Amino acid sequence: MERTYITKGKFARVLMLFAVVLLPWLIAIFWVNKVSLEQKPVTVNIINYKADSLPSPVDHSAYEILQQDFTTPQQVTEACLSCHNKTGHDIMHTSHWKWSRPYVNENGDTVELGKKNIINNFCVGTDSNEPRCTSCHIGYGWKDKDFDFKAEMNIDCIICHDQTGTYKKFPVAAGYPVKEEKVFNGKKFLPPDYNKVAQNVGMPKRENCGSCHYYGGGGNNVKHGDIEKVLTNTTKEVDIHMGVDGENMSCTACHASDRHDIQGQLYSVSSYNQNRTTCEQCHTETPHENTIINQHANRVACQTCHIPTYAKAAPTKMTWDWSTAGRHNEDGSVTVEKDSNGVMTYHGKKGTFEWAKNVTPEYTWFNGNAEHYLIGDKVEDTTVPVQINTLLGDYGDLEAKIIPVKVHRGKQIYDPVNKTLIIPHLFGKDSTAYWKNFDWNKASITGMEAAGLPYSGEYSFVNTEMYWPLNHMVSSREESLKCIDCHSRDGRLDNLAGFYMPGRDRSVILDTIGVLFIILAFVGVVVHGALRYFSSSKK
Amino acid sequence: MKKRTYIYRRFERFWHWSQVLLIFFLALTGFEIHSTYELFGFENAVNWHNIAAWAFLVLITFTIFWHFDSGEWKQYIPTTKYIMAQINYYIIGIFKGAPHPTHKTVYNKFNPLQRFTYLGLKLLVIPVQVVTGFLYMYYMYPENPIHLGGIEITALIHTFGAFVLIAFVIFHVYLTTTGETVLTSIKAMLTGWEVVDVDEEEEHVEHLKSAVKYSIAGYYRLDKNGNFLDVNEAWLKMYKCSDREQIIGKHYSVARREEDVKALDTIVSKVFEGEIIKAIPATRKCRDGSIGKHILSANPTYAGGDVTGMEGFIIDITDLDDESEHLHYAVKNSKAGYYRLNHKGYYEDVNDAWLKLYGFERDEIIGQHYSLSRTKEDLHKLDEMIAKVTSGKSISNMIATRKCKDGSTGKHIVSANPVYDKDVVVGMEGFILDIDSIKDEV
Ligand code: HEM
Repeated sequence: MERTYITKGKFARVLMLFAVVLLPWLIAIFWVNKVSLEQKPVTVNIINYKADSLPSPVDHSAYEILQQDFTTPQQVTEACLSCHNKTGHDIMHTSHWKWSRPYVNENGDTVELGKKNIINNFCVGTDSNEPRCTSCHIGYGWKDKDFDFKAEMNIDCIICHDQTGTYKKFPVAAGYPVKEEKVFNGKKFLPPDYNKVAQNVGMPKRENCGSCHYYGGGGNNVKHGDIEKVLTNTTKEVDIHMGVDGENMSCTACHASDRHDIQGQLYSVSSYNQNRTTCEQCHTETPHENTIINQHANRVACQTCHIPTYAKAAPTKMTWDWSTAGRHNEDGSVTVEKDSNGVMTYHGKKGTFEWAKNVTPEYTWFNGNAEHYLIGDKVEDTTVPVQINTLLGDYGDLEAKIIPVKVHRGKQIYDPVNKTLIIPHLFGKDSTAYWKNFDWNKASITGMEAAGLPYSGEYSFVNTEMYWPLNHMVSSREESLKCIDCHSRDGRLDNLAGFYMPGRDRSVILDTIGVLFIILAFVGVVVHGALRYFSSSKK
Repeated sequence: MKKRTYIYRRFERFWHWSQVLLIFFLALTGFEIHSTYELFGFENAVNWHNIAAWAFLVLITFTIFWHFDSGEWKQYIPTTKYIMAQINYYIIGIFKGAPHPTHKTVYNKFNPLQRFTYLGLKLLVIPVQVVTGFLYMYYMYPENPIHLGGIEITALIHTFGAFVLIAFVIFHVYLTTTGETVLTSIKAMLTGWEVVDVDEEEEHVEHLKSAVKYSIAGYYRLDKNGNFLDVNEAWLKMYKCSDREQIIGKHYSVARREEDVKALDTIVSKVFEGEIIKAIPATRKCRDGSIGKHILSANPTYAGGDVTGMEGFIIDITDLDDESEHLHYAVKNSKAGYYRLNHKGYYEDVNDAWLKLYGFERDEIIGQHYSLSRTKEDLHKLDEMIAKVTSGKSISNMIATRKCKDGSTGKHIVSANPVYDKDVVVGMEGFILDIDSIKDEV
């Protein structure tokens, strides 16, 4: 009797032991699997987004002043300003008008810095090339240094507010549309019907912003990589916000404006952490259910995980080597080469290009502030690429986060004596413009004179790099990066140094010692066991 | 002598196997986080690792309490005694079939190498792993209130700890196979029972120690000035004290009515002169002022040849009927016998007084069933008593008839209480006081 009691008891105890040991695990397995597998509906926590809160549109065609027969675009502006009588003043303070923002240089002086006087990695600089570059200025007639930035009549209201889609600035006319029909690069440009356009104005649409911002660098998606004409009518695969099959948000939904000062800036030309458009303004700083992922947001920008690739539709220009420019065909025409997709890989006026689609971003620390190569800055070390702009911040800087960037690599003309980059005179009908005469020396003399800088008469080419933070073409959460994309050896953040990241980093010495340790333990045990076995079977 | 013994208690086994699973699992997920392989997916590995880490912390917390509560922490006190012998055994002796140089007993489960290793794990490797782990978890980012300046050092220590633990596990698992048979040790950790060495001397001492601690008989100890140094639970109960503090340090006179103090004075002075009082009836004054009767034994305690005080047992006889009057005479000539039975009723231990009463030699009775020492008629009475005791009750002052070796019978008064080994009843033990001689005298 006692015996059975004891065996039963023992069995029950072993059973219980295992129940107690295993049960928590079974529950945990269930829990983790459920939590990780259950597909939650994608609910996005949105704050502050008031797309519908604007005053209802006004029917401008009813206003008599807009029914007149306009002959010049300035007349339209005058009509606009007759009602919107403070707007001209507002516009004068925006970077869209000034192409610059105040910047405190290393001497502590405040200077105006921006598109108008910064070098970029594409067509280099605006000085002496104005009529071409300023076809994207929101004004009329900025053809040289003497443009009057106080003349309100020269504001181009229509380029942003036109709703007809018929109004176009001519690419080489200092911001003017054509007066009579003209062709540029095989495309026809017609004079606008000012009357119709003026009566059909409204909030800027994607096309309005895109008419300049899609085509920076002289063609679709050349510069940004994440902003191009596909965004006008796209799917959520390309851009989760703008996809017409999804949220269908306009540019201005995020880039709201305060008296025409539009929120957001790009660090190719901007310098300070101010007036930025951020994901957090709608999504809050802790939008994830997983705390660990929210914690990541301390040091990792949203864009890093949520923009896994850019240039998802059209290719973007990754490199631009000016040094090869100048080739002509036997018939004397400028050499142009295209790849099998019809993408231009060489142009005699510009040099050699490389393009790429579905590009994996590079990553860098960024605290919201940037420095720029300013015209006249000395380049001391030409063995490393000249940094056209520098995104500031590193791991030790608590304001800095990891962001995705497009790095555009170039080869630009350089004065080895004065140790400065050269702004060449590219565009024009005169005898020194490079695109007309293909003489770098002459182009440099004119360009540098316009910039007010010395030129030694010698030139060569140096490597350059320019950083373009990526903010658009956000992917769905399913396509966003997974832990393993960065937390692995040779992952995406491989080149960011100065901090330890689980899964990416290890001490090779320690791992070697550890593995040796385990192997030795194993071998020791096996040998010992074998010896034991044989010595006992001998007896 | 070898004996099947209950050496790992229920919680100990629960803790051990949970820890096995947790360490295994933490290593498995940890090395996935370390990018050594892909198994659950990084995100799951991190979640799992964190959950397991919390479970581990909870387990460790409970286990720390258990070690102190059970006194098992003493098993880990390191010793260098026999350590060379143990090392020699693993290097040489084991291949020659030499016996283990140290013996596993209930009171000394671990050999000196195990003591060092386990203590090192408990005090160094695991705490380091837990502390670095939680630093890792909570100070991942430099924004945190405690600025570690990055997680690198922490992570490297944590990784190193993981390697050490894995190496430990390899050795540990292998060494479990060096028991009696390959699976002996593992089975023991699963069931709690293992055949281990019994050092008779050690057993005897431990039995008496625990007999004193748990027995129904009261135990007391006085210092040279007659102040109480120690009493056991049963003594406190008899004197209706709720707390040891109420008596320790007090003079023995508080335990007597005024008129009885004289009698005790006499006893005490006799004992201090070296005499042993085997049994004498006494009337006690309890803490609440009530009166009780008991039989008392007393002997001097020595240190280096000098009497340092006295100690002895008391067995309650308050509820005993008129026979108690005679006990005075009875116990006068008797001597308290001690016995211990295992849960199946076999004698495990007896003392000399017991042997004298029964007329056995020790070898003749140890390992024998109790029926040997009872008349047929009395057997069922003892069966009942044993059943009661093994179900956890204690019995005082029962009168029993013994059958001695030569077939003669005698009467004695028995106390019996269950013997617990860890948390199970493994037998019973008690004292007997002879009352035959009273009959004769009457
Ligand atoms: C309570 C105890 C423990 C805690 C709190 C803990 C916590 C952590 C944390 C927070 C990480 C970083 C990865 C992550 O973000 O989840 C980690 C990594 C790791 N853990 Fe643990 N852990 C513990 C115990 C263990 C044990 C017992 C082992 C091995 C036997 C282990 C092995 C590892 C390994 C190998 C890594 C990867 C280290 C690296 O590559 O940086 N951990 N642990």
